[in-house]
Amino acid sequence: MTDSGRDIDSDEMVLTFSLDGETFAIPVSHVNEIIDPLPVTRAPCADPFAPGLVNVRGAIAPFVDLRQRLGMPPAVLGETSRVLVLDLMVGGESTKVAMLADDVDDITDTRMADLEAVPELGVRWPVHLIRGVAKKNDTLVIVLDVEPAFAPTSHK
Amino acid sequence: MNPAAQSFVQEARDILEDLEGVLLELEADPTNPKRVDAVFRALHTLKGSGAMFGFVTLSAFTHHFENAYDRIREGKATVTPRLIELSLASSDHLERMLDAGPDEGGKPVQDPATAELVKQIEMLETAGPAAPAAAPKAERYTIVFKPDAAALKNGMRPDLILAELGELGEATVVALTDAVPGLRDLDPAICHIAWQVELETIAGREAIDDVFIFASDWDIEIRRIEETEDAAKAAPAAEAAAPAEAPARPEAPKAQAAPKDEAPKAQKTDSVRVQSHRLDELMDQLGELVIAQARLNRIADELGDAGLGSTAEEIERLVTGLRDTTLSIRMLPVELVFGKFRRVVRDLSTELGKTVTLETRGGETEVDKNVIDSLTEPLVHIIRNSIDHGIESPEARRASGKADQARVVLHARQSGGEVLISISDDGAGLDAEAIRTRGIERGLIAADADLPEDQLFGLIFEPGFSTAKTLSSVSGRGVGMDAVRRVIEDLRGSVDVRSQKGAGTEVTLRLPLTLAIIDGLLVKVGGAPFVLPLSSVEECVELPPADDVRTSGRSILRIRNELVPFLSLDRLFGFERADSEDRRVVVTSVEGRRMGLVVDEVIGQYQTVIKPLSVYHHGIEGLAGSTILGDGSVALILDAAAIVRRAVSAQRVAA
Repeated sequence: MTDSGRDIDSDEMVLTFSLDGETFAIPVSHVNEIIDPLPVTRAPCADPFAPGLVNVRGAIAPFVDLRQRLGMPPAVLGETSRVLVLDLMVGGESTKVAMLADDVDDITDTRMADLEAVPELGVRWPVHLIRGVAKKNDTLVIVLDVEPAFAPTSHK
Repeated sequence: MNPAAQSFVQEARDILEDLEGVLLELEADPTNPKRVDAVFRALHTLKGSGAMFGFVTLSAFTHHFENAYDRIREGKATVTPRLIELSLASSDHLERMLDAGPDEGGKPVQDPATAELVKQIEMLETAGPAAPAAAPKAERYTIVFKPDAAALKNGMRPDLILAELGELGEATVVALTDAVPGLRDLDPAICHIAWQVELETIAGREAIDDVFIFASDWDIEIRRIEETEDAAKAAPAAEAAAPAEAPARPEAPKAQAAPKDEAPKAQKTDSVRVQSHRLDELMDQLGELVIAQARLNRIADELGDAGLGSTAEEIERLVTGLRDTTLSIRMLPVELVFGKFRRVVRDLSTELGKTVTLETRGGETEVDKNVIDSLTEPLVHIIRNSIDHGIESPEARRASGKADQARVVLHARQSGGEVLISISDDGAGLDAEAIRTRGIERGLIAADADLPEDQLFGLIFEPGFSTAKTLSSVSGRGVGMDAVRRVIEDLRGSVDVRSQKGAGTEVTLRLPLTLAIIDGLLVKVGGAPFVLPLSSVEECVELPPADDVRTSGRSILRIRNELVPFLSLDRLFGFERADSEDRRVVVTSVEGRRMGLVVDEVIGQYQTVIKPLSVYHHGIEGLAGSTILGDGSVALILDAAAIVRRAVSAQRVAA
């Protein structure tokens, strides 16, 4: 999905999940399902952001590692680990993508108008991946900009 | 458009396609009567069925076209280059008429393009070398016909038949209404009327039979009135004779028509037209079946029940058979694409003032339909490039001691799991220096880069890359070769170029044999399952431990007195080495080059549905796709050819 639907005044339902102790969010319209962790087949010589593939109910989906892109240490599977299956447009093709989250929290309403810009120096993540920051019960929720956040690593 | 007309359009397109091929053959062999007959037959069918399905303009136009060939058949004219040229133009014109659809109201439409072509064809007739024979004497016929009950439902048009008879000469038509029932019993969908036509014509009996060519199962009676008979007596005599001759007569037109119809009819019973999306659906379902079957096998193995095991085996055998049959349905000879290029080459060489002959080899090589469908465009680009840029003008060719006539060769062949299609010309070859200069200008390569020629030639596939100094109408804009590469890569294939300055250029397309299901060899590398297409596997041999641990450099194995280089897939993939005592070498053969791939374990033969890789992974060299195994895990399918090529080029860089 392109972000043409980025209507400034609208409310959007987002799914919040945690990665390395931080709370992230993506619009629920991109979330297809949430499943238990499943075996990942690693692809040789692959983009480190998309190190493998998984079988999601008979469909083969690339498995992406958002932690790698955000410069976080590799995930350790725990009790609460879940796989998010996302429907995304990647490189102009509608693609089913699987990613691992440490925990899935909640679905909340976020007013896109209230998003605050990320201060350049405040985070070590590439800021272009982030649409803005919202506050929810005193926690910072980092809303991802889906398209750049899940784009294949470009080689050029 | 009604379904009958649609199927006519479909059929007509096939006829025109064949016609073009025959015309080009006729050009090469102008005195062959068989080819003239073939052209005539094709036109005749078009004319007849065109009129039947409401393509009146098309039919009227074809009539003139057909006449020209009739004259040749009768020896009144000969095949000239001008005739071929006009015929090709006419065939294109017919194609446009088909696009336009049937004529409204059944009246021929007059348009300037049609009129011009007709004029030119007629001019050809008057300019014919042989003097026209003396006009044949007019003959008189009595024709009585009654359409069969289903004729109107089948879309037959008695009015068109009457009109066609009228075109043959002076006709008097009487409708025989004796059989028309009372209004209460009248079924309006059935033709109750018969017609009697008195016809005076110079066209001969055969022309009359031809009018009824698509109505041969009607009740038809054609009787020639003897000249000695008095015209006044003729009509009653014919009527009187009708009942007596009825049983024998209807056979006559059939017998006459039979030789003409034989070929198309035989084809009709042999083949079925199927929309290709139905084949795609069949293929998808078969893919699911193959995966489900793998699951069944695994469960049968786990349970160890003999009855279940043998049933699973039987199902496996059936699925394999079903798969092979389904795949073979989808396989079409490359000739289907090659055939189109004779025309392209002919037109282009005329336009550019070069003489070029096209030679095709291996047209019988079969490729999946989807591959065939995507091939035309890339091949057109490559051939255009060859003729426009590659092949020199006749003067330049003479100056460099070549024959005036240049050659473009299309060659298809199967090699392992791939189909190779090469397009070679004996032109000037690529100018490596010009490409290097242009590449540096465009910032594609560093100014001091010392690239080997094949990598340099690869630059011609970059978007917008052209070394042509002048643009021509056909090429030189640098659009094209990048499109070629994109299409071929979408088909999981690859393109490469070889060229020798002054001697010519060869572009080779490598394409997978099929897009959907393959037989594979399941192996493990670094703990992960991989599938190697069985078509590129020659054998599996043990890896002697001494060879395994050798760290001296390139590894070579001696297999039955032949030296085979091998490489470790885990090292190539950057995987950690798995602890395995079962390491094997899978010997692959790609274009006659043998190369061993070391794997941790060979699990066995496996039927695999190829699922395409996502955007994240499809750029990885050496991977052809992915598949789901019986246990639900995902395995990657390796492209042995790409792995070997990569190894070869890596070695070349190192050397």
